[in-house]
Amino acid sequence: MLTKRIIPSLLLKDGRLVKGTRFAAYRDAGNPATTARAHNAQGADELFLADVMASKLGKSPDLDAIRVVARECYMPLTVGGGISSIDVAYRIFECGADKICMTTTALDRPVLLTELSRLFGDQAVVLGVDVTGGPGQRQLFDHRIGRPIAGKDWIGWMREAVGRGAGEIRLMAVDREGARTGMDLDLLHEAMAAVEVPVVFEGGADSLDHLDGALTAGADALAIGAMLVFSDNNIMKVKRFLAGRSHAMRV
Amino acid sequence: MRVSIVDYGAGNLDSVSKAFSFLGAEPVVVRTPEAIAVSDRLILPGVGAAGAAMKRLREGGLDEALTAAVRHRGVPMLGICLGMQLLAERLHEHETVSGLGWLPGDVNRIDGGSKHLRVPHMGWSGVRSTPAADRFFAETRGKREFYFAHSYTLATDAAAVAATVDYGANLTAAVLSGNVFAVQFHPEKSQKNGQALLQAFMDWNP
Repeated sequence: MLTKRIIPSLLLKDGRLVKGTRFAAYRDAGNPATTARAHNAQGADELFLADVMASKLGKSPDLDAIRVVARECYMPLTVGGGISSIDVAYRIFECGADKICMTTTALDRPVLLTELSRLFGDQAVVLGVDVTGGPGQRQLFDHRIGRPIAGKDWIGWMREAVGRGAGEIRLMAVDREGARTGMDLDLLHEAMAAVEVPVVFEGGADSLDHLDGALTAGADALAIGAMLVFSDNNIMKVKRFLAGRSHAMRV
Repeated sequence: MRVSIVDYGAGNLDSVSKAFSFLGAEPVVVRTPEAIAVSDRLILPGVGAAGAAMKRLREGGLDEALTAAVRHRGVPMLGICLGMQLLAERLHEHETVSGLGWLPGDVNRIDGGSKHLRVPHMGWSGVRSTPAADRFFAETRGKREFYFAHSYTLATDAAAVAATVDYGANLTAAVLSGNVFAVQFHPEKSQKNGQALLQAFMDWNP
């Protein structure tokens, strides 16, 4: 039986981990290697690492930091940020990443999804989808400029990306990111109804009950950031709680 | 003991190498038929698409070197993920590709449709092993989740299937045939369960 994944979401900036709100106001959140080591020891099901400045500055992600984190991971590692070419993707895999996640770079060059899935398999290609706004008013969000993207249907974009070979969706409720105001389960439902690949959901979780609710709503995996960084929760405690709520967990 | 990880340009060797180093082995990454020929243990890892992978194996003459070492001289081999699927006769991805053909059968896309399963099969799933494969799974008995990430699945002779995973149907999770052991999941990414399995492969003398 396939268990539900709980994925610490780590943001990288200037060689350190940070946590912010709505892709801004970043605060220091620790050393990448020691944090990854702790999550590995506590049985995290996967790790997500994103270089938050790479795409914004139009450069490659911090490969040294990725390599250092990968060395601590005996679980899968997904890396995002600044993946604008096959060459950059190849170097990230060489650092020890298992999957690459593209958000704005895929919007710039959708054909990258096609090319990378042909080279590395669709299981290695993740589409990041940052969505802002409520039901009926949802829009894709461009974190590089801090604004919604006009005229691009987010559902249509997800379907196109999956058709091109994206094997997983990482869905971010932008308005909830770091806000710890609860998860947008309507958004999750809309995404899961639109595509047949696994959906990793992130944004807004502040309590164990929020996580329970998102899994009950059908999420395949949950990525959690602020909730792990600025509270006394850890992966082991989170997974034991969710197992106690009858979710299939690896504990 | 020379543990060789075959590099055919599909990435992710670092994870496999690191996992063997963790067990105290000194793995080497090999790219030539000559290096394959002097190996005591061979690892055929796998991230990537089947067509590109087989092309690279053939272009470099690595397929023949593997056949000579594994099939003719009995060097133990571990296949991982795509490295298991390549053992089949045919792989049906974007196009149909001839595999190594060491095992009968085909690799096809996982059918998620009828049961609304999401494809790829992505994440940690429990596996059920056969008694013949006890040496690889004994350490993890009763707690056998491994990390899977695949959209395609190998259908082969029941006699060669060493473990299955329930994902809509009983999919092949591991095969065992003579001195070849191969797994669909990623032991190098499966924390303690994976390490125990890799250690069992190192201790194996078929």
